[in-house]
Amino acid sequence: MAQRRNLWHRIAYNVFAWAIVVLIAFPLIWMILTSLKPQSELFLIPPTFLPGEITFEHYRRLLVETPFLIYLRNSGILAVGTTLVVIVIATLGAHSLVRFSYPGREHMARLVLFTYLLPSVVLIIPLYFLMISIGLSNTLTSLIIAYTTFALPYALWLLRSFMAAIPDDLEAAAMVDGATRMQAFVDVILPQAVPGIISTALFTSILAWNEYLYALVLVNSDEVRPLTTGVMNMLVTSFNIEWSMLMAASVMMSVPLIVVFVFLQRFLTRGFGAGAVKG
Amino acid sequence: MTGKPISKKRLSLDARYSILGAMLIAPTIIVFSAVIVYPLVSAIYLSVFSIYTPTMEGEWAGLDNYSRLLASGEFWRSLLNNLVWTAGTLTLQMVFGVLVALMLHQNVVFRSLARSLVLFPYFLSTVVAVLVWRWLFNDLYGVLNHMLMWAGLIDMPVDWLGSMPNAMISLIFVGAWKYFPFVVIAVLARLQSIPDELYEAATIDGAGRFARFTDITLPQLKDVLIVIVLLRTIWDFKEFDLIYLLTGGGPIISTQTLPLMVYKEAFALNQMGGASAVAVIMMLIMLIFMTFYLRKTRD
Amino acid sequence: MNDKSNEHQARSCPGQLSRRSILKSAVALTAAAALPFSKARASTTIRWWSTQSSPEQLAAYRYQIKTFEAAHPGVEVVFERTSDEGYAPQLAAAFAGGNVPNIVTHLPSFAVADYWSAGLLLPFDDVIAEVGTDNFFEGANRIYEIEPGTHAAAGIGNTAANMLWMRTDRMEKAGIERLPATWDELRAACSKMQGRGVYGAPLPYAKNSMTTLVIIGFIHQAGGQILSPDLEVAIVSDEAVNALEFYRSMREFSPPGATNYSWGESLSAFVSGATATGLYAGRVLINVSKQNPRIAEHITCTTYPTISADVPPWTFNDFPSVFIPADAADLEITKKFAAWLYRADGYIQQVHATPGHVLPVLKTIAKSEAYRDNDIIRRYGTEVERMSSAAVAGHNLGWETPHHRANVKAGAIINSGILAEMVQRVVLNEEKPRAVLANTAGRIEKIMKG
Repeated sequence: MAQRRNLWHRIAYNVFAWAIVVLIAFPLIWMILTSLKPQSELFLIPPTFLPGEITFEHYRRLLVETPFLIYLRNSGILAVGTTLVVIVIATLGAHSLVRFSYPGREHMARLVLFTYLLPSVVLIIPLYFLMISIGLSNTLTSLIIAYTTFALPYALWLLRSFMAAIPDDLEAAAMVDGATRMQAFVDVILPQAVPGIISTALFTSILAWNEYLYALVLVNSDEVRPLTTGVMNMLVTSFNIEWSMLMAASVMMSVPLIVVFVFLQRFLTRGFGAGAVKG
Repeated sequence: MTGKPISKKRLSLDARYSILGAMLIAPTIIVFSAVIVYPLVSAIYLSVFSIYTPTMEGEWAGLDNYSRLLASGEFWRSLLNNLVWTAGTLTLQMVFGVLVALMLHQNVVFRSLARSLVLFPYFLSTVVAVLVWRWLFNDLYGVLNHMLMWAGLIDMPVDWLGSMPNAMISLIFVGAWKYFPFVVIAVLARLQSIPDELYEAATIDGAGRFARFTDITLPQLKDVLIVIVLLRTIWDFKEFDLIYLLTGGGPIISTQTLPLMVYKEAFALNQMGGASAVAVIMMLIMLIFMTFYLRKTRD
Repeated sequence: MNDKSNEHQARSCPGQLSRRSILKSAVALTAAAALPFSKARASTTIRWWSTQSSPEQLAAYRYQIKTFEAAHPGVEVVFERTSDEGYAPQLAAAFAGGNVPNIVTHLPSFAVADYWSAGLLLPFDDVIAEVGTDNFFEGANRIYEIEPGTHAAAGIGNTAANMLWMRTDRMEKAGIERLPATWDELRAACSKMQGRGVYGAPLPYAKNSMTTLVIIGFIHQAGGQILSPDLEVAIVSDEAVNALEFYRSMREFSPPGATNYSWGESLSAFVSGATATGLYAGRVLINVSKQNPRIAEHITCTTYPTISADVPPWTFNDFPSVFIPADAADLEITKKFAAWLYRADGYIQQVHATPGHVLPVLKTIAKSEAYRDNDIIRRYGTEVERMSSAAVAGHNLGWETPHHRANVKAGAIINSGILAEMVQRVVLNEEKPRAVLANTAGRIEKIMKG
């Protein structure tokens, strides 16, 4: 009897949870449906959900007639490049902030957060000058550098809080066994920090994937342009919006991220080993 | 530190660790100094000039930019809007974020897919998200109005974005939808590391669901939540794209926030000096907030 | 304010900052070390920026680039897209950093006026002469004669942005015989055609540039003006009050969401059939044929009504431009390329990319068979003809009437949103028009003084 009630509870809970998920992801569902509709079904009044006829025309045009794939490649390079750079620097930095003591430690942590306090609109032009003067204007490298600067403080603080939750004893135990601090870091701390690193890597890549303003100003040729500005420039002007292709492009920009994340889930659920955890 | 005599060997080990620690944080500091300090200082520098944006040339203005701003009603209204927007969307982001993270921490079918779909708003580019929401909010062919009318909740389409208080509420809501997954990711990661034994022990002691949440989960989450609130507050305070594209600051200036004023000054009125002044004021406000916040939460 | 001699001024006016000269030396120093590939470049490269680059337009550009490169070996043309939102910060960064493109097309005329007044553009007269001064429609380039005797740019296409579009089937049903020519007729028509889920008009009441441009049109259609021919603020007038009151009275014929409508929503409202009239340019034709072919037989356009028969129609044309930054490299070949853009084969392909929307500026093209060889242009011959003549006689805030001087602050006024706010205060807040106009006049004054 109790088991039957438990089963109903579980079903009810699942339905409830999935209802919320669908509500949150509703715009995505709607985007996908719209991208499969022919243009004549875009602005029907009253609006329809399901396409009257399904067409892949917009996807085809996007892939064949536009530089979409080039933009995709560029966004990929940006996301991966920025994430690698940021994770390496931030992990080392977070480790330093948590496990070491030296004068000015707390001040440096706060100073790094300073970079956030100015809105990007104001930083753009000086940053552009800087890139020109070091010969990097209109390159992906300039964007990686720009994105690193504002992803780094985020990553540092986030990783710091994750790493602070790892108990000191683990490092101490490894060193008792003869490891140096850096060996202890690699063998013991890093594995424990994996969920934190993965989440931080996720934030950083999403930030790099979706960034618009810097890409708008720092980069101007199609060879180097990422998806955000590429898609916008092509399909959105103040007088007209190519809705169908825009929806197709947006779906193609979002779905890969979702698929990648489904696979990364495993790392997020790998918890800490047995043992008391500092609160 | 104490009167204990320190052996030469231990001193050098501590010193070596200090140096190692400093080396590990060095790349961060280098990136910061090399790439951000120049634009940061440049922005503060520009704010005391009156600069014509297309040529970036101008003349000394002293504190004129600041006095002009602080005397204008528009500035104070924008500041108020900024505070309302930040407080509203932050609250929703934190509440939804924690609740949804808790929900997805349980065993749900196709949990990985559910989590990915929940993160979708954060994945989506802001520009596209705004265009899609404007379409959904549209009074003629927007799905939202039609569903509400079909359900009998309203009988005329609602003007979601063009009148107050709808505009601010819609903004806060879309902002929450867009950014709450950030909270979900961080909280989920932290939840994984809370050992089950703590919950089992509490259940044996007779604690109910809610008590387990407040006595075990919340304290464990506290540290991460503190950092997230800090990061998200700063980020929301500075938010530009979402508000600019969704309402443009309208109706009139009822949803205009300080970042929109910066953009207006810099590129619409071609006053880079004035824009920098607003930005510097924003920075000071956030600095004050950050200082008080960190002081309070370090206890 | 022509700033061509900024270095000179910097020396003689110690208070004036010249970041550009400082930066130029910094750039020169590092450029010497940091650009190895400049030696390897055998050919000349011309960079072309444009805000209009839909797939069809891009195909037309590629054709023009290909033919130019074939005729001029050793020259490479690189097309770089920018956008309506992006060009302002991008060009600001480009001008300030000395990293300018060779040629920029499709920017609105007030942007050109802005840059010309800062001394950033090359006089365009050579190119106009090469294309044929008489070939351009009469007065087509007057808006670019910011200083008499020299042109800052030339137009590359005309757009009649505020045509009145009508659903002829709805007109018939409501018993309306002629296209409205006065405001009273417009109001009556909208009132009769509104009903059963269809609204009369999609007029914008939003805080955006569409509202600004539309109200400028209405003020002129009432016989008023924003600035006098000598660029004194002249917006406080009976005519402007009439315009605002009429615009307020039309609110009931627009959908509820009009308080947030921009061009896209307004266009979709008419194209989807939700409104009986529209206010737009020729893109209506393209969108109707793609998105709502059912009404394709039932649409037509005319110039937007004015307050009475005494006031002539006032068409808004943002005169999309071609200009060359003064600091660009390889100016001679760039000028040749600019003229090449007007050659018949490539130019016709360009205007065919958005038929009816971007109209030709050259007489020979407008008359040619090759131009008329297009479905939409053929089908809607009358409408295209009307738009063409309206656009050629068109104006905008940078040049309000043939008697006006060029207003280089037009862009700043439009982008500041002052006029859109004015509309919202009168219509949404129900403030008294005259008081709001007085306040608006003061704010415009501040911008004009700079």
